[in-house]
Amino acid sequence: MFKRLLLRFRDMQTIGKLIPGADEHANLMGEETPGAEHFVLSALTLEDRTAKRVFDKFGIDSKKFQSAIKSQYIEALSSVGISGQTIEIDPEPIKSGKIFHDSQPSGQDLMKSLYALKKEDKELPLQGAHVIIVATSIEHGVVPRAFKALGVDRELLGKAAREELASI
Amino acid sequence: MKHIEPLPPPNKPEDALAAVVALRHVAEQLERKAVKEAISQGWSWSQVAQALGVSKQAAHKRHAAYVSNTKRRKGKSDV
Repeated sequence: MFKRLLLRFRDMQTIGKLIPGADEHANLMGEETPGAEHFVLSALTLEDRTAKRVFDKFGIDSKKFQSAIKSQYIEALSSVGISGQTIEIDPEPIKSGKIFHDSQPSGQDLMKSLYALKKEDKELPLQGAHVIIVATSIEHGVVPRAFKALGVDRELLGKAAREELASI
Repeated sequence: MKHIEPLPPPNKPEDALAAVVALRHVAEQLERKAVKEAISQGWSWSQVAQALGVSKQAAHKRHAAYVSNTKRRKGKSDV
């Protein structure tokens, strides 16, 4: 009973870092609310470092993932004949004055899936690698397109995140 | 941008939808920069709203937080 309470307390602490981190990454990238991609970036900065270790195994990091997010926008625009040079897509960081933040639908879906995953995994506290597992299960949108731009197989990345958790 | 190519073929909805998301992303960035610049040049929120084709309240609600620190070179906001 006490162990479960302690685990829940630690999870709340981690969520308390994950969400503001995602907000910060979204704002730095010129977006008002975080999407799933910003939760991945936030997970990479969590103290447990499990997400970072998983990314390390594939030779990728936060910077490369951010570049891949931009690349997938450029690639998508080129498919309708708009070159990256025609339109400046470098976002200007914004300073949000909002106290209570919302997430983009992809961010909300990620958090719901994360909650479901954690309900199954009652042994470990919430780790960055849990976020990576959920992120690699997303089939459409910015996150899988960014992984594709990086040349990373989502399934293998998810498997590596599971192995990382198993090794703890 | 002179013209927009036809959408990716219908058998590739993933690409077509990704293009829509990217266009929306770029449009949001352009809108934010344009509003910030207009306000800094002394445009009123009414003028900005009219140019964007939205209500003054909608324009202000969406952008005020991001341009509140922008020094206006002339005129004052009417909101």
